[in-house]
Amino acid sequence: MIPYAEFKAPKGVIKVELELTNDRISSAFISGDFFMYPEEAIEALERTLEGVEVQKEALLAAVQNFYNSTGVLTPMVEPRHWVEAILRAASGERK
Amino acid sequence: MNSAIVINTTKERKDTGSEWRLLPLRTDDAFTSMAIDEALLKLNAGCKSPNTIRFWRWQPSTVSIGCFQSVEREVDLEVAKRYGVDVVRRITGGGAVFHDHGGELTYSVVCRQGDVPDDVIESYRLICGGLVRGFEHLGLRAEFKPVNDVHANGKKISGSAQTRRWGSVLQHGTVLISPDIRKMFELLKVSREKISDKFIASVYERVTTVEREIGRKPTFEEVREAMLAGFEDSLNVELREGELTSEELELAKKLRPKYASDEWLRKR
Repeated sequence: MIPYAEFKAPKGVIKVELELTNDRISSAFISGDFFMYPEEAIEALERTLEGVEVQKEALLAAVQNFYNSTGVLTPMVEPRHWVEAILRAASGERK
Repeated sequence: MNSAIVINTTKERKDTGSEWRLLPLRTDDAFTSMAIDEALLKLNAGCKSPNTIRFWRWQPSTVSIGCFQSVEREVDLEVAKRYGVDVVRRITGGGAVFHDHGGELTYSVVCRQGDVPDDVIESYRLICGGLVRGFEHLGLRAEFKPVNDVHANGKKISGSAQTRRWGSVLQHGTVLISPDIRKMFELLKVSREKISDKFIASVYERVTTVEREIGRKPTFEEVREAMLAGFEDSLNVELREGELTSEELELAKKLRPKYASDEWLRKR
């Protein structure tokens, strides 16, 4: 079964589908009803996650770096919300 | 004293300075409407189209999904097919929406990014402010609910979605006049057990319509008049009636096949 989870951020539900190799993300697919400016950045976020260890601090650093380097805007969705969704998917928790 | 004078002068200049185009009410299929919105955005960014407000309707009724949504996860395509409801992916984020031909008026605002606040929520507040005033013209007490909703009498009555590209802003959204709420939940993939009378009742606690709040179904033209007056107030602009240009129509015609394509629909 593909690791998948949903997490309700203050604005929007983040839906994450993962492929894992050992403890690292080999690919991530993110969907949901959030907003992201510019929209194309979603693909950059997915790529950013590739190779990252499924561990809270490592994920937070990667996502934070994605925000810093792209200047992306996601109203009422913060780095920790993506991380929470990813961790839930990786742990097989369904909601 | 001096600063007060400066503020007044600025306001006066704004009062007389801004003229935006108002397009006539159109009814199109989803793919054409999405293409028109993108064409307006592109040409506004290229300084070939003026800032524009338009109101429009969907025929046939359509489910639109946000640009980050997975169509398979959000929409029951079998049910859509059975009802003859189109499904389209927007270029704007946000959620899946059922646009009922007989029960929804949709608006689009296209303008230069410099004409709205940089802050995303503040820009929604400004544009949704037009809807708030519009609902007030219809006799409702309405308020903006960040990020992108308007509530009337404590319930959601309008949702909007915005994108910023190439230096311009497109914001489009719904005015719920009298949509079929039950059909909406048949089309959207909420869990099966949720489409119960109890669930529908709970939706009626959170979502409302103009018809329900004012006790009669207003005409589309009446709602349009109220909303455009609202936008004039909140944006502090004068709306001048105009038509789509041949350049806009041609670009929309070119963009339409993308929105009608399976590739675009299943992009996520």
